[in-house]
Amino acid sequence: MTDVTLTVNGEVKTASVPPETTLLKLLREDLNYTGAKLGCDVGDCGACTVLVDGLAVNACLMLAGQAEGKEILTIEGLSTQEKYHPIQKAFEDVAALQCGFCGPGMIMATKALIDQDQDLTRQEIKDALSGNLCRCTGYIKIIEGVIDAYQEIMGKKLPETKPRIA
Amino acid sequence: MVDDVKLAEKAKTQEKLRRIDDNLRLPSIPERRVFPKEIDIAAARMQTPAIGQRATRPDGRLHGLGQTKYIDDMFFPGMIHAKIKRAGIAHAKIKDIDVSEAEKMPGVMATLVGSEIPVNSFGPSLQDQPLLANDVVRHAGDGVAAVAAVTEQQALEALERINIEYEELPNVFDPVEAMRDDAYKIHNNESNIYASKTIMKGDIEKGFAESDFVFEKTYSTQMVEHVPMEPHASIGEWDANGRVTIHSSLGRITLGRADISRTLDLPINRIRIIATVVGGNFGGKNEITTEPIVALLSKKTGRPVKCVFTREDEFISSTTRHPFVMEYKTGMSKDGKILARKVRLICDGGAYCSWSETTLGKACILSAGPYNIENLHVDAYAVYTTKTMTGAMRGFGAPQVCFAYESHMDDMASELGIEPLEIRYRNAFNEGSASPTGQVLEAVVVRDSLEMATERFGWKEWQK
Repeated sequence: MTDVTLTVNGEVKTASVPPETTLLKLLREDLNYTGAKLGCDVGDCGACTVLVDGLAVNACLMLAGQAEGKEILTIEGLSTQEKYHPIQKAFEDVAALQCGFCGPGMIMATKALIDQDQDLTRQEIKDALSGNLCRCTGYIKIIEGVIDAYQEIMGKKLPETKPRIA
Repeated sequence: MVDDVKLAEKAKTQEKLRRIDDNLRLPSIPERRVFPKEIDIAAARMQTPAIGQRATRPDGRLHGLGQTKYIDDMFFPGMIHAKIKRAGIAHAKIKDIDVSEAEKMPGVMATLVGSEIPVNSFGPSLQDQPLLANDVVRHAGDGVAAVAAVTEQQALEALERINIEYEELPNVFDPVEAMRDDAYKIHNNESNIYASKTIMKGDIEKGFAESDFVFEKTYSTQMVEHVPMEPHASIGEWDANGRVTIHSSLGRITLGRADISRTLDLPINRIRIIATVVGGNFGGKNEITTEPIVALLSKKTGRPVKCVFTREDEFISSTTRHPFVMEYKTGMSKDGKILARKVRLICDGGAYCSWSETTLGKACILSAGPYNIENLHVDAYAVYTTKTMTGAMRGFGAPQVCFAYESHMDDMASELGIEPLEIRYRNAFNEGSASPTGQVLEAVVVRDSLEMATERFGWKEWQK
């Protein structure tokens, strides 16, 4: 067994898990944070995206032991009782999620992107979310949600781009 | 020096013990659910009329907060995990299944093979599919045995210890070859063709004789997997009253309940299905997969049993979109009017029928396209092959034939030197046209749709 001490959404957690346990299994099964989903278990779909020290990581590819001492942020750590997180609100408002299974991963990847505090273009948003798959929406509304959240958080407009289809 | 090391080790051990002790003393409770207190209700739900008001999805907030409970997010006290062994061989007779080694593995609580299932067959139109293959494996993704263990990892490891002796049978991968009289009969039927449909309208011989041009071409499409983000999953619990409660990601629970009742040989009123939020269906979660297996493993172990497909299971053992081979022959007049069409559809159904029969019907009716054709003959066949079975998927046979008749239209337009849009206008359904099966159509907007669509995506500019 491996002992792991890590910070999840600001709280220190300790667990003793078999060495082959992934960060995803540790979060979901031992610590009860079921927001991050297991979609493919090989790092393709991004449904398990969480932030590790501010970087978006596929939790299914990281061993629990590698997360020792790290700060983890999961979907459960975004909103508070007082404040609905702008990304989650934007996703709800534009109906960016249908079955919702990709949602937590998409939102965490968006959070990592906006946290970089850089000027973005539509293409850069698409590139940044390319590691997160969705089968329902066709991505259009998800991108809209990200743009709305970006404009809300950064307080500035995304540069206009000419749509490919008139 | 040595003493220092020893002391450091001792301190470390003590610290570890203290932490374990602390953990034991503190009850383990899940994190509280944090949600914003204020709720703004969408305008559409507050006033009449709702039309024109902005609405949000009623489940959008829970999805975004990560609080939606899919099957894999549910844990019940004492719950164990099941995994299914896949055959890995396309077509073979099972001579022997030995699960004794697997049962000795650490954490393993029960195993299940096909012969232990009361009625080992199901299917929406033909009951030709086993839950776990018992005597014959008909495609590589066929389940052959299941294991329930304390952890998923233990269950997966135990699968490796199941020994199965196979005797290989001939493979049939090509649907056209599978139709031949001398092809190996996968289900011991007279033929591998298990469903056929025919549509006849007018007189095609006469139509072809009057045609100035006759075009012939064969089109084919490939197999497509639904790849729902959430894999198929279920949790089963057998109780002391002989009743079964199943949490399932099934999309069609009523049909699933009937199938579960049949396979478990239980009256339907003893089966309770709790449908959860489905993480993507697209037609792929219309049939039972693991539900009776978790129910029986629960009966054996006296515990709730969860089974979640791995992504590999999802690809090789769940249903897929039918590959079609579509032979088109069309007679045309000089001015680009279709006078006769003959279509032969071969639907590669894979190892089991699933929804092939209904898919075939829809494909057959739609195979002539939205065009006025007086003389039509469509023959359609669904065929068994030793591949992953095919079933319902968005469109139910319509996208395959659409690809064929529209490609055919383009091919003919280019041969005749007529503009692709123009050739469609000349043949498109209009008000009062009759469909291939004789339905008189009302409110027909093919022409308007084509005009609007081509205008929107800049067809004219693109043509230049």
